[in-house]
Amino acid sequence: MSAAHRPGSAPAPVLMARGLGRSYDGFEALSSFDLDVRPGESISLVGPNGAGKTTFFTIAAGLLEASAGSLSVVGSDPGSIEARRAVSYLPDTPVFYEDLSLGEHLEYVGGLHGVADGGTRATRLLERLGMDGWSDSLPSEFSHGMRQKASIALALVRPFAVLLADEPFDGLDPPSRDVLFELLGEARETGAAVLVSTHRPDVVAASSRCVGLRDGRLSYDGPPDAEALSLSSARPA
Amino acid sequence: MDREELAAKRVLREMRSARRSRLVEQLDAMELLYRVYVVLMVGGFALALIAGALNDAEVGVRGIEALGDDGPAWLGTGVALAVLAGLRSGARGGPLAIEAAEVQYVLLAPVDRAASLRAPALRQLRGALLAGIVIGAVAGNFAFRRLPGSPLEWILSLALFCAAVPLCTLTAALLASGRRLSPVIATAAGVGLLAWSLADAALGSMTSPATMLGILATLPLQDGHWLLAAVGVAFFVALGAVGLFSIGGLSLEAARRRANLAAQLRFSASVQDVRTVILLRRQLASEHPRRRPWARLRGQGRFPVWRRGWHSFLRWPPARAVRALAAGVAAGALAAGAWSGTTPLAAVAGLALLVAALDLVEPLAQETDHPTRRDLLPVRQDSLIRRHLVAPVVVLGIVTLAGIVTAAALGSPRTAIGVGAVMLLPTAIALICCAALSATHDPYAFISSSLYMLSPNLSYVQTGIPIAVSIAAISAPLLAARMAAQQGVSAVGAAALMEIFVLAGAAAMIWWLGRRVVERAPVQS
Repeated sequence: MSAAHRPGSAPAPVLMARGLGRSYDGFEALSSFDLDVRPGESISLVGPNGAGKTTFFTIAAGLLEASAGSLSVVGSDPGSIEARRAVSYLPDTPVFYEDLSLGEHLEYVGGLHGVADGGTRATRLLERLGMDGWSDSLPSEFSHGMRQKASIALALVRPFAVLLADEPFDGLDPPSRDVLFELLGEARETGAAVLVSTHRPDVVAASSRCVGLRDGRLSYDGPPDAEALSLSSARPA
Repeated sequence: MDREELAAKRVLREMRSARRSRLVEQLDAMELLYRVYVVLMVGGFALALIAGALNDAEVGVRGIEALGDDGPAWLGTGVALAVLAGLRSGARGGPLAIEAAEVQYVLLAPVDRAASLRAPALRQLRGALLAGIVIGAVAGNFAFRRLPGSPLEWILSLALFCAAVPLCTLTAALLASGRRLSPVIATAAGVGLLAWSLADAALGSMTSPATMLGILATLPLQDGHWLLAAVGVAFFVALGAVGLFSIGGLSLEAARRRANLAAQLRFSASVQDVRTVILLRRQLASEHPRRRPWARLRGQGRFPVWRRGWHSFLRWPPARAVRALAAGVAAGALAAGAWSGTTPLAAVAGLALLVAALDLVEPLAQETDHPTRRDLLPVRQDSLIRRHLVAPVVVLGIVTLAGIVTAAALGSPRTAIGVGAVMLLPTAIALICCAALSATHDPYAFISSSLYMLSPNLSYVQTGIPIAVSIAAISAPLLAARMAAQQGVSAVGAAALMEIFVLAGAAAMIWWLGRRVVERAPVQS
């Protein structure tokens, strides 16, 4: 039995960053960033605009390459088939095919990830997000908040071990925010690690751990206490 | 490959097929057929008419020999240049421009990336192949009238060559992108091929794969070089195969950047927004101004607009500077070709200089990009626009000078310098005016005008005017000078006479530019 499965020991990290860095033309967007994320953890990633939150998420999703350090997802390189199977990335700006309805999007994404009961799962998700009447609609017909909800459904319709949600609460009405809290909690209960970047104190308070970033560097890693809450609304240095 | 991956590939295939069917369903087949029919009829008729009307003289025996012996190497140099451009584009993530959603949902799904990217890559290759065949067939239609060989031979030969060139460019780009070649290595590989082809041209040999491909374009003049041409084709086909199989390695970062830019580019091209197309193309090519200028202007000059223009040029990235200079050299070579009898090359020379001019009017275009800032300046709008033309005219004059030197090197130096000296300034002024008209054209203003209500196709006229004038500004004096020389009259005199009309046209364009900007300004100056 591996250490990860030994009773009493902490499970092996599903996401591990060591000295991770990314620079753009000399500008350090992320620097010497270390992080271990274990299954079932709910982490809020906080920091002012430009702190490096999205940069970290896009590196972990395999969309961006690190210029320094290393990152592994379920023991594999980000972007590898195994990592793609494990990571679900919910971008800060929703992305859609303009010629596919929401239902077709869900069927497609579910199918690409080998979801057997894609239809049922999609229907249930849409019902909970209050989008059940919009399955046949094209994304161009959606409001800003509806696009965000559709994007959330697309991130959750497929199985994952790590969810990277970049400011997912933005643009949502209060009932939808509550539903999203529930959905993230359920994902965590299934053993998935949930990382949410946010500026909202209520999201930080609901997480099990808070990671703060400032000027691309780790500034805090601990419980979501008062200090962590202050980071979520910190001003840039 | 596991079962899950196979299932995902099937889903991908089915969805793509469904989307294609939906797109086809949305097309109006009769409307499409009608458009194709009109384009074929009008294009074919115009082509036959122009080719017949030009009545260019047949090339002499020495010219034919030179074309057969040296042509492949020089054409190969052109192929090598295209491959260099392809490699550089690939190193920046080109040539594929896939949808942002495809990056988010397909390339991040556990599906073989190479397999999912092969379809869009093949689609792009198919489009390039078709465009190349059409252009080659048109060129063949002109070639057989001046060179020995049957029309079919020339049309086939040039169609093959012109199809091969974009294919080589794209496959080189696919290879560089899939293999993640760094810009330095990609450039070095391209420059290596270019140097090899230039060596062939200098030594009269046919050893470079690009030169071998160049043989294709002169096949009716070649005896027993079929095999070499086949080797060249095989080399690039192999390169293409490697490119297609390695495409899965492309950078997602570049794919995402290109996806967003390409969507905007397609929209801008569809509304003929030339300025936005130029800006987006620069972003696609990662062509950014230099942080440190090549040189700094001294003091605080009395001419702020003139200095602003030079501040812009002095921050040009090397690629843009090389492109402008290459456009000048190409224009000179094309003008020399037109002088020696291939009349249509004069039109291409005009287009080459227009490319350089479009880069040069950047300071003026930026004033148009930010009309509010411009409108708040305490100067007359039309005067400001006119002052913005001066620095670009000077730089285009330098670019044109490079063309004159090239023409002198390729033909008769005395005639080239004489005619070139007369053409230099009026050409620069006219071409900068054309570029300024293109860059300041607001397609959305046209869409809201009554002309659009009359016919949306009139927008093509607005977009086409600067292009047509650019061609005329070079062709008219050049061909008038050629005709005068053929008749034993002063070529310089004939060119000078034509330049009066060119300058009159430029004056009209300057007036139009000023008027347009004043009309659009919220506060009349």
